[in-house]
Amino acid sequence: MSATEGPTKTARPGRRRPVVQFVAVGLVLASALAVLTGWFSQRAAQDEAVQDAKSTTELLARAVVVPALPSGPALTSAAELDRFDRLIRRRLRGADVLRVKLWDASGTVLYSDEPRLIGQQFELADEQRRVLATGGTDAEVSDLSKSENVYERPLGRVLEVYTRVEGADGEPLMFELYYAYDDVAVRAGRVRGAFLPIAVGGILIFLVVTVPLVWLLARRLDEASSERERLLRAAAQASDAERRRIARDLHDGVVQDLAGTSFALSASARDVAGGTPLDRGRLRQGLEDAASGVRHSLRSLRSLLVEIYPPDLTGPSLPSALDDLLAPASANGVDVSVELADTSELSDAAAGLIWRTAQECVRNALRHADPRTVRLTLAIHHHLDAPALARLEIADDGTGFDAGQPSDSHHFGLRGLRDLATEAGGSLVVTSSPAAGTTVVLEVPA
Amino acid sequence: MNRTLAVGAFALSGALTLSLSAPALANDADVIKRGSCTGASDWKLKASPENGRIEVEGEVDSNVNGQTWRWRLRHNGDLSARGVAVTKPPSGSFDVRRLMVNAPGTDRVVWRARNPQTGEVCRGSLRF
Repeated sequence: MSATEGPTKTARPGRRRPVVQFVAVGLVLASALAVLTGWFSQRAAQDEAVQDAKSTTELLARAVVVPALPSGPALTSAAELDRFDRLIRRRLRGADVLRVKLWDASGTVLYSDEPRLIGQQFELADEQRRVLATGGTDAEVSDLSKSENVYERPLGRVLEVYTRVEGADGEPLMFELYYAYDDVAVRAGRVRGAFLPIAVGGILIFLVVTVPLVWLLARRLDEASSERERLLRAAAQASDAERRRIARDLHDGVVQDLAGTSFALSASARDVAGGTPLDRGRLRQGLEDAASGVRHSLRSLRSLLVEIYPPDLTGPSLPSALDDLLAPASANGVDVSVELADTSELSDAAAGLIWRTAQECVRNALRHADPRTVRLTLAIHHHLDAPALARLEIADDGTGFDAGQPSDSHHFGLRGLRDLATEAGGSLVVTSSPAAGTTVVLEVPA
Repeated sequence: MNRTLAVGAFALSGALTLSLSAPALANDADVIKRGSCTGASDWKLKASPENGRIEVEGEVDSNVNGQTWRWRLRHNGDLSARGVAVTKPPSGSFDVRRLMVNAPGTDRVVWRARNPQTGEVCRGSLRF
């Protein structure tokens, strides 16, 4: 169990990392969206405010200024200025206008609500000349460093809008109004306040909804990764153990037998070549012993080959494969008993799993338990309302072990078999205690 | 004798009129003129600075309530404002206030009011 808990604990930070990354990306996205929304809101509000200022200016020019202009040359006498001033001031009261200017084409201020500007002449900008020449309306943020705007400096940032009007005698004039630029900022704030909750709130709600899902997905991926890592480690350990076992079996079995046979044949050869009279009976006995040793080695190699590369197991071939598997136990003097049901209806998968379980149990018993008897029983249980169930029981009277203790390395095989049984829809139960032998029961769908 | 008295009375009234129509400064920058109309009424004309403009106040005091007067204000010789006013209690007077643009140089303001029923005329002027 400890081998499976370790990777799970160490994987938790890895599980959090993608969630944190997801949330971080979401927050960055929300922040970027907030900035973009603010920027676009600012632009949209500015465009809207400027357009409104243009429309207001054009309307005042048509409805107020043109009708108030005297007949003949515009505003040439003080009395005309008085009347125009009173009218403009009365009409523009409450219109959020900070400054009024009326220019002629030479750049002279014919009228302003700032009387000190009246009569002064300034250089007109290209845009102003264009409006005077071709008509239309234009707007821009005032350049307060210009001398014409010296009296607007205390007003702060202002937006100036100018449009062309004509005097009673057809003289082109330019009517100019100044608005507080703060209105644009206030309007931008309103637009931003309207759109920001929609844009950013959507992202935040998306994060709130998806973070648990991402967390769940990350946890499943993490668990799958841990399980895969555990299986790979177990497979590597099993492979390593298998190679060691094969080497040990070859060294302790076939190599020893062949060495003994080689010595016997060498002795027989010396007898034949020696000067002493040939004892035919002894020579025959030596050769028969050598032949018996070679046959024993062949059987051992055959059993080893079956273990290394199991035959294509099917239900019908399972009994002979189990016989081959148990042959080494019999050869080692273990009392082996086998009781098999009819396996002809077994599926290939069930036959394979039964054989592998038997192989692991017999191998463990011979290697670790030193049993006197090994009993293998295979039964097939048929049910009316459920699939048939194959039940394999392998019991030995060996030294046993404490099944409640954490498994050591040579029990990886049983753990792997338990996983295989579970995946096949079955189960594997190991019952053992010190000096009381071991019983392994496998149940899988037949 | 009668001729001498008549000339003396005229000279006295002229001196009185001159003294009444002399500028009287209520504020350092204010210019005020007063005078008598052709009848029993009096007039007053006041100019004071107001945010770069000139605030002009014309007044007629006839001591008779309900009289209708036609009035005019001229600025540098041209008609700046005109209207009709009615004298009101308790003093039987009316006054008119108008803002004028402070033109470059000295501004000349003329105040004229006429009662069409009696033909009485009030006229005064000042420079600001």
